[in-house]
Amino acid sequence: MAASCIFSSSARRLVASPKLLPNRSAFPSNASSFLCLSRSLLFSSPISFQSLPRSSPIALRAQQQRQQDQELESVDASLLPPKLRDIIALFQSVPEPKAKYQQLLHYGARLPPLDPAFKTDAHRVRGCVSQVWVRAFSDPDDPTAVRFEADSDSALTKGLAALLVFGLSGSPATVIARVPPDFVQLLGLRQSLTPSRNNGFLNMLKLMQQKAVQLYIESAQTGDSKPVESKTASTTNKEEKNSILGGEAEEVPGESASQVNGNSNLADKDETSERDDLGGRRKRIIERLQQGLSPSELEVEDVSYLHAGHAGVRGSTDGETHFNVRVISKEFEGKSLVKRHRLIYDLLQEELQSGLHALSIDAKTPSEAHSG
Amino acid sequence: MAASLCHFPPAVSSSSSLFVGSKSRSLLLAVSPFKHFPAKPSLSPSRPWTRSYAVSNDAAAAAAAFSVASPSDPRESPSLGEITRPDFPILHQAVNGFNLVYFDNAATSQKPSAVIKALSEYYELYNSNVHRGVHYLSAKATDAYEEARNKVANFVNAADRREIIFTRNATEAINLVAYSWGVFNLRPGDEIVLTIAEHHSSIVPWQIVAKKTGAVLKYVELTKEVPDLDQFKGLLSKNTKLVVAHHVSNVLGSVLPIDEIVDWSHKVGAKVLVDACQSVPHMVVDVQKLNVDFLVASSHKMCGPTGAGFLYGKINLLSSMPPFLGGGEMITDVFQDYSTYAEPPSRFEAGTPAIAEAIGLGAAIDYLSSIGMEKIHNYEKELSEYLYYQLSSVPNIHIYGPAPSNTVRRAALCSFNVDNIHPTDIATFLDEQHGVAVRSGHHCAQPLHRALGVNASARASLYFYNTKEEVDTFIRALKDTIEFFTTTA
Repeated sequence: MAASCIFSSSARRLVASPKLLPNRSAFPSNASSFLCLSRSLLFSSPISFQSLPRSSPIALRAQQQRQQDQELESVDASLLPPKLRDIIALFQSVPEPKAKYQQLLHYGARLPPLDPAFKTDAHRVRGCVSQVWVRAFSDPDDPTAVRFEADSDSALTKGLAALLVFGLSGSPATVIARVPPDFVQLLGLRQSLTPSRNNGFLNMLKLMQQKAVQLYIESAQTGDSKPVESKTASTTNKEEKNSILGGEAEEVPGESASQVNGNSNLADKDETSERDDLGGRRKRIIERLQQGLSPSELEVEDVSYLHAGHAGVRGSTDGETHFNVRVISKEFEGKSLVKRHRLIYDLLQEELQSGLHALSIDAKTPSEAHSG
Repeated sequence: MAASLCHFPPAVSSSSSLFVGSKSRSLLLAVSPFKHFPAKPSLSPSRPWTRSYAVSNDAAAAAAAFSVASPSDPRESPSLGEITRPDFPILHQAVNGFNLVYFDNAATSQKPSAVIKALSEYYELYNSNVHRGVHYLSAKATDAYEEARNKVANFVNAADRREIIFTRNATEAINLVAYSWGVFNLRPGDEIVLTIAEHHSSIVPWQIVAKKTGAVLKYVELTKEVPDLDQFKGLLSKNTKLVVAHHVSNVLGSVLPIDEIVDWSHKVGAKVLVDACQSVPHMVVDVQKLNVDFLVASSHKMCGPTGAGFLYGKINLLSSMPPFLGGGEMITDVFQDYSTYAEPPSRFEAGTPAIAEAIGLGAAIDYLSSIGMEKIHNYEKELSEYLYYQLSSVPNIHIYGPAPSNTVRRAALCSFNVDNIHPTDIATFLDEQHGVAVRSGHHCAQPLHRALGVNASARASLYFYNTKEEVDTFIRALKDTIEFFTTTA
């Protein structure tokens, strides 16, 4: 998994040199050499891990870290999804706080940007000094798995959000709901974070767990003959929620139901307002993509039948919710994968707001397609 | 606009203050590209900046006489910061492995040993309830408590000691005015004028009272990141009953001309409530000279303990106001279905007060007075300019509020933002990797931040025990922090 790859390469970038220690007596000269050294560290090639001198404050911190680790062996590792365990191992192998921060920032940088449509109060995490938004939706390829997206205006908070997104995405709601909040102490970031930021982290986790549970409840409901409004679902199914979370469930906010599959307009629209021209959506997708991308090759396949019966599809009785899109276009040249997907989503905004739930996208430039 | 300085009582003009003044100008010339000041021959040639602050009174005198050497210049006498630091035990510690640089004084100040000692002495030697008993300990406690009231009255030059009411903090003092004077005197359509830069504690109580009474809030907006005084004059009308204004802004660092504001307000028949939380600790504030109707301040921002603050109100105003909280102490006689109330200040001090804390505040005032508020003020002027110009040298930074100059005063605090880096990231990294304590957020001034167009800012705020060396450390740390976030992200 991608996280482990980053793990192995960045672990080697850690250096603990005595010169990193601040000189306590005078200010000017030593501090500037510290700065120069730290600057070169950021650009340096992988350097081997050195053991720390005993008397340094960094050694003291490492010692505290070990103490904390021992204290917290009581955190049940089996409750943590494997991806999260990988991430935890990564952070534990990086004792120096500054390097942990760098690692955190790298995670944040890898987080894909969140569609501004989801930067609403319903997605906002409370208790954060910065702004954080979180979104949960079912994996189009695996109905039991929950996927997350998140964003923040603060780089460190975005890093924390990324940890959770990468650590929890792909796991089923039952596993996500059981993740104990105190795993955050295992990261060793806790002592590097202010209490308010920590609270934000825990609140992020809670919100993600709530949203995952909500998806689970709704998918369990699709066995019913008529679609039930998510709002009532949250109140009538509290017992089910309680059993999952071990009795610690909190009130799921009513609006979170509308974020199933992240389509915030879905609950607002009346179910009868969906278009009823069968097969029309596929035609419209092809039309829009042809107009916007002038592709050399374009394949659009309706795979809604694969997802029939799971959360969010309730009410869309005529399918047309999930599509595979394969497109080759010169428009993608020079654009990252994220930008390409963004381009396609932008072209299909109207569809997304009227019942299209998910796209599985294969977007290549002509040169990539012929060499691939 | 002419930002008038705080009012110094007619003090002996010592040659020392002139000496300091010229030193600071040459200092300024050396460190900043600004050419506001006329070129004066530097009193210490070929030095990047002079740290000397030689004044001839009290605590500084002894140290100055010894010519305590600093690392860089054995001839220069130490700054006020260097002299007073030993009095503050909390400053001498390492945080996250680095020497603590405490730059969050606008949130709360640190306490000298003298104040801490006063608190423990109270509890060790003469703790007893005040105003109630006749025995020895209670008499001693009462004397000390009332002596503290005298000290506060003298400190702000109140005409009458009964004009000082002890509260839990400045916020409670403002609520006292709101619920007692406000609810009693405001009618539908009456207007309350505030600035957009007010602290939440100056805004929210008035929102509540306006809802109760039908009064209307009007806000003075910003021009060039300071309150627009022309707009303020325009907002005043015969409907204005109260003006609520800060003396020094805890975000912008700007100083309002309170004496002029009071003049204009009184002409239309409005009362004036001044939030002096950021001014009383840092400069001489004379309530008679300013002629304010109400003034509030907190003990914990002026080297005193938390849990104490005070309201100053003109005695005729206070005498006409109904009680705020009811209970023991504020009554004369209590019957079953009614009670008669005491005169101010007791009328507004229900229940057992924070006795130790009030005495602690008195001890803080003693400490500050022993240094001299003028001296503190002048030193902070130097610090303020140094901080501002050093911060200005950081690329992509925006500092809110006015630039200091001959006519424009700035408090020794700067709220700022760096392009593309969230202030919380900056504050976290400064703390974790450098031991520098600054604040990030909206500093209890959300309307102000909206007016400035930002969600949050970082703020470094200094007090007289901070030094220029600490400012240097902060600037280095800030540059390192910015480097980290621009290269790693």
